[in-house]
Amino acid sequence: MPDTVRRPGGFLPLGFPYEGGYLLPNLLLFGRVCKTLGMSVTPSRMIDVAHALELVELGRREDVYHAMCALIVTRPRELALFDEAFRTFWRKPATEWSTLDMSSMGEQRRQKKIQFLPPPEASPDDSIGPTSSTPIDQSLIAIVPTYSQREALRTKDFSEMSAQELTQAKLLITQLHWGLGVRRTRRLAPGNGSDMDMRTAFRQNMKYAGEPVELTTRSRKVKPRPLVLLCDISGSMERYTRVLLHFLHTLSNSIYQVESFVFGTRLTRITLQLRHKSVDVTMRQVGVDVKDWGGGTRIGDGLHEFNYHWARRVLGRGAVVMIITDGWDRGDPELLRNEMVRLHRNAHRLIWLNPLIGSENYEPLTRGAMAMRPFVDDFLPVRNLSNLATIARALARVDWRRPNLLARREAASIG
Amino acid sequence: MLTTVDAVQQALHEQNYIAERSLSTAIYLALRMGKPLFLEGEAGVGKTEVAKVLARMLDTRLIRLQCYEGLDANHAMYEWNYALQLLYLRLMEASRAGRDEMRAGLFTREFLEARPLLQAIEAGESGKAPVLLIDELDRADEEFEALLLELLSEFQITIPELGTIAASRRPVVVITSNRTREIHDALKRRCLYYWIEYPSFQKELKIVRAKAPDVEPMFARQITAFIQELRSMELFKRPGVAETIDWTAALTALDQHELSPDVVQETIGVILKYQDDITALAGGSLKTALDRARVRADMAAG
Repeated sequence: MPDTVRRPGGFLPLGFPYEGGYLLPNLLLFGRVCKTLGMSVTPSRMIDVAHALELVELGRREDVYHAMCALIVTRPRELALFDEAFRTFWRKPATEWSTLDMSSMGEQRRQKKIQFLPPPEASPDDSIGPTSSTPIDQSLIAIVPTYSQREALRTKDFSEMSAQELTQAKLLITQLHWGLGVRRTRRLAPGNGSDMDMRTAFRQNMKYAGEPVELTTRSRKVKPRPLVLLCDISGSMERYTRVLLHFLHTLSNSIYQVESFVFGTRLTRITLQLRHKSVDVTMRQVGVDVKDWGGGTRIGDGLHEFNYHWARRVLGRGAVVMIITDGWDRGDPELLRNEMVRLHRNAHRLIWLNPLIGSENYEPLTRGAMAMRPFVDDFLPVRNLSNLATIARALARVDWRRPNLLARREAASIG
Repeated sequence: MLTTVDAVQQALHEQNYIAERSLSTAIYLALRMGKPLFLEGEAGVGKTEVAKVLARMLDTRLIRLQCYEGLDANHAMYEWNYALQLLYLRLMEASRAGRDEMRAGLFTREFLEARPLLQAIEAGESGKAPVLLIDELDRADEEFEALLLELLSEFQITIPELGTIAASRRPVVVITSNRTREIHDALKRRCLYYWIEYPSFQKELKIVRAKAPDVEPMFARQITAFIQELRSMELFKRPGVAETIDWTAALTALDQHELSPDVVQETIGVILKYQDDITALAGGSLKTALDRARVRADMAAG
């Protein structure tokens, strides 16, 4: 993932003269860790920290600790967090260091943005004495190179991953940046627009005795779109279900407004279960509440149920719909087709994620896939981590226009 | 007058509104406790009608605010009359008024134009408290809900330039929502909540009889039974009570006295508003539904 950590000074602009080894990049990295843990770390604050470290003896761990603490921590409750972060981050290289150690610091959801494995140094109870003779201990700030392992993991099919790899993959999913395109609402807010804001204008121009000298305007407010997820949990999807549910959970907790449903032979709404912050609690709850795990698939019936009973409530305000299924359908293809037409008409954008895309010789030729394909705006694979990164980008790019208007018209005329 | 649930039910009935006892109770509590009444339900079950009937019942004014996306304080609460303010400013200039005088006169009540919410707050001063209907709140955006919070709990509106205007008599507030999105808990918490269901056969028959007293009893039963039959079918949009009343009126206008497949076909647009639903009903299922409706109507007569 990030190339920046692979060379010293990687955070700095290219060509910037810097000879400080790994210290500065790691310092900034530590700043980010603290920020992720909820402390108010700003760039200017980090400049102060860097200056402060010039003033204390770097070999004296205690001094470094207190200097940083004084500058980074602003509230009593952050003291313990900082302490833990400092001990974990600045310690001697540990062999079994993993990102899971990071998760134990603060809440899981705050981990989203950490994209590097933090470096190791000195175990917590290290005495400071002897090291003071060496100016800087190089190993203090080395970074664990896990880049290549990760690269392999990125392209591995979810269904072929070991339990351990899956755990790691799930963690990586939470670290991707999940955001959705925006829509312009009808609400006006102060801004550079065409609509006069009389109230503000009047008040501001009082100082010119009521002459309209400064004109203030309002513009349409922008809001993120709602997202609706429909995930297939039938037998043919079984190998992907667990990781996909994890994916759903991450989306639910990082996008503004998410409605989630799963279907096999019937439709179940799992929005509320997914809102729980803990992924384990969520999984347990979903496992209990959903009754048709790993059974047959009747996509048409699921969509029918959705269209008739939920669409009116959740498809307002320019919602984006994402269907996750392999397209193996044992129901009536005609019904499926009709429901797809309706869904397509009511969604701002219809995205189909299919774990089979990219596997050898796969073509969407099953009856179900043939019925669905003409009505989706985007048809994307979802079989490994790099696919998910693509999906994240696609979601962030959803704008006010549909991608393929012509195809959509043709589809509509057939329907 | 309206001191018991029975009295409310009776008064509603006199206004030709047939209500479940549960709804009467909710209305009674809303009136007695001075809390807003939050009504949810499918389209056309008579949510808006409750406010209209209440206004007639209490013999007071109905102030209505139709919600839409982007609705803001300027359209819902109040707006300063800028043109008048500017004129006033010029006038003061010409008369060489002092600074304080100018300032004191510029933001006064006379330059404020009341929109529905402020009207409702102020209406109580001269006469009875009005009924305030905030219709289809789900159409407005979340920001607007926040704007309502002060009004719904304190029955007052704070205007930065002027101060707080409180209601001398609390308006009776009715809020409706079609549930195209969830309304925030903060708002619901300040209200009495009531979900209006589709009426039962007996209740709907009463409604039809009340709204169209001239229709023959057997025909009214047939109409009601057929609509009830439709509601039990899997339709994209099931007909509401409003559709039943409209349909009755349409059939009366066409001088019909008996339901037949042809008559239903010709007037189906009054009750079903989606092409898919009309197609679903075409052919066999229409006849089946009609037969079942006739049987039910006969049974109800006997």
